[in-house]
Amino acid sequence: MIQRCFIVISLISLLAGCASHRTTVVLVPDPQGHVGKVAVQTQGGEQLLSESGQAVIVKNEKDAPAPATKFGDEKIRSMFGKALDAEPPVPEKFVLYFKIDSTELLPDSAMLITKIIGSIRQRKSFDISVNGHSDRSGEDAYNLDLSLKRAAYIKELIVKEGIDERYITTDSHGEGNPVVPTPDGVSEPLNRRVEVIVR
Amino acid sequence: MKMKPYLCILILCLLFPALSQGAESPVGSIKTLEGDVLVLRGGQSIPASIGMPVFQGDIIQTPASGSAGIIFRDDSIISLGPESKLSIMEYVFEPKDEKFSMLMKMIKGTFVYISGAIGKLSPDSIKLETPSSIIAVRGTKMLIEVKG
Repeated sequence: MIQRCFIVISLISLLAGCASHRTTVVLVPDPQGHVGKVAVQTQGGEQLLSESGQAVIVKNEKDAPAPATKFGDEKIRSMFGKALDAEPPVPEKFVLYFKIDSTELLPDSAMLITKIIGSIRQRKSFDISVNGHSDRSGEDAYNLDLSLKRAAYIKELIVKEGIDERYITTDSHGEGNPVVPTPDGVSEPLNRRVEVIVR
Repeated sequence: MKMKPYLCILILCLLFPALSQGAESPVGSIKTLEGDVLVLRGGQSIPASIGMPVFQGDIIQTPASGSAGIIFRDDSIISLGPESKLSIMEYVFEPKDEKFSMLMKMIKGTFVYISGAIGKLSPDSIKLETPSSIIAVRGTKMLIEVKG
């Protein structure tokens, strides 16, 4: 009898599975309080969400999504509470600036090293990224090399403070990830930087 | 036993398919964990632990009343509620070559997604799929539920 029940139940869920796979998407403010945009697409059409708490339900892949509705905090909490509680803290980012064409830190940036070590210890982080970035003056290859040297130097400083080097990855983003987008050949001090991300 | 180096490499690649995909590096790591969460990788299921790196191709699976939170290389975040399954189909974050891709499949369960650097640099490279829809992201935080 128990076995028969089991079969019936799994058949129902199998049928339900084939028929629907219902998807619900809710737009909420990001950690900075900013509300972005999201487009939910099916074969039948698209629904755009652009306001906080706006939600769309998709019943299947063929039909167009239902018109957007609004979800209250209570409903969001009851549906997504566990997933929201599992959200890791947003990684902490430190930006270090250098003298032009050099691996020497500007004085204000040199003071940040202590704060970086504090953050690593407090979070018990074993996932630290040290990424070198350059501006767009000079040759690509030279910039890539310089920003890698800067990153390696910062890693050295962090390791000197007793952090295990296995937890640190260095990389060079070269000109490809600027803070201030500029045309090629432009010297921009805000782009000449190393970003340390403590996760 | 003497063997030509390339033959060794070939055999290694056959034995460990991950090796043949070039220098396969982690795409993120698991930062929060509750319950017996599993990582399905190359036909094996590995118990997850805090700090564990995740790779392209991994499937993360949470049990009833369990949960997990992942931070990716570009600092995007995905967390999973109970009885959820996430497949990391494709993930590329190489700003120096301007190569970006984030293709995630939310197979079932509940999810929180917060966009990271890829959302700023190349939002069109992000695709979140559920069995019934494709979600295009414009730099934001959203909640997703997929009922099986």
